[in-house]
Amino acid sequence: MSDYEREGRGGGRGGAGKAKDGEKGAKRTFFRRRRLCKFCVEKIDYISYKDVKLLAPFIPERGKIQPRRISGVCATHQRALHTAIKRARHLALVPYVTD
Amino acid sequence: MSQARQYELVYIAPPDATDEVLAELQTQVAAVVDRFGGTIDRTEPWGRRRLAYQINHQREGTYVLQVITGPGAMTAELDRRLRVLDAIMRHLIVRVDEDLAVAERAKARRKSATMERRVRRGLPPEPTETELNRRNQEDDDLDGGPDGGFRAGGDR
Repeated sequence: MSDYEREGRGGGRGGAGKAKDGEKGAKRTFFRRRRLCKFCVEKIDYISYKDVKLLAPFIPERGKIQPRRISGVCATHQRALHTAIKRARHLALVPYVTD
Repeated sequence: MSQARQYELVYIAPPDATDEVLAELQTQVAAVVDRFGGTIDRTEPWGRRRLAYQINHQREGTYVLQVITGPGAMTAELDRRLRVLDAIMRHLIVRVDEDLAVAERAKARRKSATMERRVRRGLPPEPTETELNRRNQEDDDLDGGPDGGFRAGGDR
């Protein structure tokens, strides 16, 4: 019994014995795939505002720009994406907001 | 130091603009470009497109893209003129030469790095045909199991 407990603690990322913490630990270890920057993987150097098909996956329904913590885009490319989307918005290629 | 820079100009005319109106717009743009000693490298009419939102109570617009080379003062004048014209609902002027050059450099750097790596491994700098074929097949395999190389929770 005590052996089992010790083992459990070790596996639980040093969490205290409380059930709540145990649950949280379990949630954290839940499978989460590492996201990669689409533009790095596909080696896209220039993100053009004209390419609506390229921008579309980063503009969810509401019309806001998807944060990179969700999409996994790297900082450099998120910055380029950001300008491209704003330019596309100005030209009404992409919406500012959709209700 | 006179500088020739490359710009992209996109403008949106109303959907009911006739060919004459569009031609007239183009000559007006060309006149300004000429005056500053610039050149129009390319004109790409995109035709009628649905707007993502209404502009001047219009749901559609006729898009025209022009790639122009010329000095910076030219864009200021173009911008001023286009804003005044009623036949243009929206326009955008963007400098592209620098960004394209950066992209080109990145591409070249990547290519030379690949070649260097290949030479260090004792391979010919360019991938041979059989290699290319094999790589394509491997890519197909990867599509079947995309999570292959990733560990669960590995991004913490």
